[in-house]
Amino acid sequence: MHPVRATVLAVTLAFAAPALAQQPIVLQWQTANLTESQYEPIWKKTIAEFEAANPGIKVEPVLVARKDHWTKFVAAAQAKKAPCIVTVDLTTAAYNGYLMPLDKYFNAEPAAFRDAWSADILSAAKWKGELYGLPIWGGTYGEIYNRDLVVKAGLDPAHPPKTVDEYVAWGRKLTGDDHWMLAVLGGKTDTTTRVLLTWIWANGGEAFNKDMTEATFAKDPKSLAAIKQYLGFAAKGGIAAPSPTTTNYLEQTNLFAQGKIASMRNAYWSVAKVLGDNPALKGRMFATPIPANVSNAPTLSSVAASSISSSCEHPDAAWKFIKFDADKKWSIERAVVANWMPLRNDLADDPAIKADPLLAEFVKMGQHARSYPLPHPAWAGIAANDIVDAVQKALLAPDKTEEIFRDLDARLTKKLRDI
Amino acid sequence: MTSRRRKLTGYAFIAPVLLFLGAVVLFPLGHAFWTSLLRVRGLTTRFAGLANYATVLGDGAFWHSLWLSFAFTALSVSLHMVLGLALALLLDELRTARTALRIAFLTPWMVAPAVGATIWLWLLEPQFGVVNYLLQATHLASAPVAWLGEPLTAFLSVVAVDVWRGVPFVMLLMLAGLQTVPPEQYEAAAMDGASVWQRFRFVTWPNLRYLLVVASTLDAINTIRHYDIIGVMTAGGPAGATEVLPVLLYNTAFRANRFGEAAAIGVLLLVVVLALAAFYIRLTRIDRDGAAR
Repeated sequence: MHPVRATVLAVTLAFAAPALAQQPIVLQWQTANLTESQYEPIWKKTIAEFEAANPGIKVEPVLVARKDHWTKFVAAAQAKKAPCIVTVDLTTAAYNGYLMPLDKYFNAEPAAFRDAWSADILSAAKWKGELYGLPIWGGTYGEIYNRDLVVKAGLDPAHPPKTVDEYVAWGRKLTGDDHWMLAVLGGKTDTTTRVLLTWIWANGGEAFNKDMTEATFAKDPKSLAAIKQYLGFAAKGGIAAPSPTTTNYLEQTNLFAQGKIASMRNAYWSVAKVLGDNPALKGRMFATPIPANVSNAPTLSSVAASSISSSCEHPDAAWKFIKFDADKKWSIERAVVANWMPLRNDLADDPAIKADPLLAEFVKMGQHARSYPLPHPAWAGIAANDIVDAVQKALLAPDKTEEIFRDLDARLTKKLRDI
Repeated sequence: MTSRRRKLTGYAFIAPVLLFLGAVVLFPLGHAFWTSLLRVRGLTTRFAGLANYATVLGDGAFWHSLWLSFAFTALSVSLHMVLGLALALLLDELRTARTALRIAFLTPWMVAPAVGATIWLWLLEPQFGVVNYLLQATHLASAPVAWLGEPLTAFLSVVAVDVWRGVPFVMLLMLAGLQTVPPEQYEAAAMDGASVWQRFRFVTWPNLRYLLVVASTLDAINTIRHYDIIGVMTAGGPAGATEVLPVLLYNTAFRANRFGEAAAIGVLLLVVVLALAAFYIRLTRIDRDGAAR
C-alpha cells in the first residue's frame, strides 16, 4: 500500500475505532404498562440502574397505550423490526413466530435463579414445551370492596360473601338509584373475557375442554348458568351499573373510585389505579376471594412474561436486561409501588410483601389460580373479539343468551382447530 | 427535437412522480392483493388462492359491515351536504363576524380525528359525561343515556361525530362555490320580486348543483374509508353495531391476527371505493366534454 494511503487509513481508524467501540447496544423495551403512571418511577429506576451496571447497553422504552400495544407489536413483528424485549400474549406471539425460545439462556443460569419460578408459573410462559418468556409479574383476580359503602349499607366487612347467593344478597343492599354493587364488563378488550371466566369457574363451569379444542360456554350447563346470572346483573333493576357494553377496566375503576359501585372484580393493580383517581380511598378497601358456588373454585391470574422478539439483534443483551428486571428487588418494588404481584416463589414471605395486608391477601388468593392468557395461539383474537362480541350481544338481547353462546361455541371450536 | 426525443423527455419528467406513485400506491396495492391470496399465520405464509375471499364472502359479518358502511356513508354524507350548505349560505349572508365564525366553524375539521373522537368519547360517557349531565340538568332525560352502549344510539353517535368533523370542509367548498355565482343573477331575481326561497331554488341551487354532486362523491369516497372516529369511539361495538368495513378489516388483522382475510376485505373495500371513483371520473368527464362543446 502507498505510504500516504496507509497513513490516512491508520489515522482514520485511530479516530473511528474508539467511536465505533463506544457505540452502545440499544435495546427497545415495549410492554403495555410503561405508560401507566404507577409503574413509571420503577421502570425509570430499573433502566437507570441497569445502564449504570452495563455501560455498553442502553434501554429505550417504547411508550404505547395499552389498547395499541398488540397492534404496534404485530405491525413491527411483521416488518421484523419488533422491539427486542416485549411483554405480549405469549402463546399467540410464539405460534406466529414473533418470539425467540429462551431455553438456552434460562438453562444456562444457576439453579438458584431457575428455582425462583415454580414449574406451574413457568408453564404459563411455554409453548410446545419451549420457554418463550420469563414470568415477571402477575395479577390475581379477587373481589375488592369499598369498606365505607359496605358499612353504610349495614353489612359486616368481616363476613364478606362467600357464595354467589350471598354476593347477590349484598348486592341488593349496596344498590340504589345512582349506585350499584358492581359493573358488568362488556367493553371491547379482553378484560371482559377475564372477568367472565372467573364467573364461569366460580360456578364450577368450563369455557373450554382440557386440550383447548372445543369451546363449551353454552355446552356446559354450569358455564351457561353462570353467564346468564352474571350478565343478568346488568338488566334493568339489577345490581350492576348501566351501560355495560362500554364498561371496561378504565370505566370500572372510575366508577369504583367515585363510589358509584361498591365492589369490583379485579387484580391488585386496580387498587393503585383507584388510589390515583381518589386518594381518599387509601385504607378503605378490602379484598376477598371471589364468591363461588363450588369449593376450591379457581380464580384467574394473569402472567406477564418478558420475551425476546425473534427479530432482536442482541438477544444476549436482552436476556441480561430481562434477568436484571426479574430480580427480587424490582419484583418487590413493583408489588409495593405499582401493585403488581410478584411471580417468584421466594418472595411470598418477604417482610415488604407481608407488610401490606391487601397485597398479602392477593398473594394468598394466587395460590389457587389458573394462569392467563389461556394457552392457544388464537387466544389474543378470541379473547378480545369473539367472546366480547358474544357478551355484548347477550347484554343487548338477554333472552337470546343461550343461542348467542351456542353460536360462539361453534365459531370458537372452528377457530381453535384451525391452526 | 424529434418526436421520439420529445416523448422521451416527457417520460423523463414524469418518471419521478411515476416512481413515487409506484412506491406508495401501486406496490402497497399489489402487496395487499398478494397477501389476500395467502394464508398468513404470523411470519408463516402459504398460498391459499381465493380461500380468503370465500371465507370473507361466506361470513355474515362482512355483509353486515358492508351494509353498515353504506348506511354510515349515506347518512354522514347527506348531513355533511345539508348542514355544510346551510352554514355556507348563512356565512355568505353575514356581514359582521364572518371571518371569526368561519374559523370557529372550521375548528372541528382542524382537530385530528382521533383527538376529536376521544373528546366525544368522554363527552358521551354515561355516568360522568357532559352530554348526559346537560340532558338531565335540563330535564330532557330522566336517566343517563348509554350513547355508545346501545346499537342505535352508538351508530347515530358516531355519525354525529363524523358530521361534526366533516361539515366544515363541505361548508368551505360551498362558500367558495357561492362566490362564483354571478351577482347579476341575484339582481335579476330581486328585480323580478323573487323570494329568498325562490332565489335559492332558481339561482343558487342550479349554480351549486354540480359542485354538490362532485363534493358528495368525493366525500363518500372519503367517508366509506373512515376508521379513526369509529375505531376510537366504539371499536365496532356494541355487538358489531358500528363495525363498518375499515373497522372489520382492522379487527380481522390486528385482533384476530388473520392478515390474509383482512387483506381480502381491503381488496373488496377497494372495489367499492373504485366504483365511487369511477362515478366521480365519469361526472368530471361529462363536465369537461360539455365545457369543450
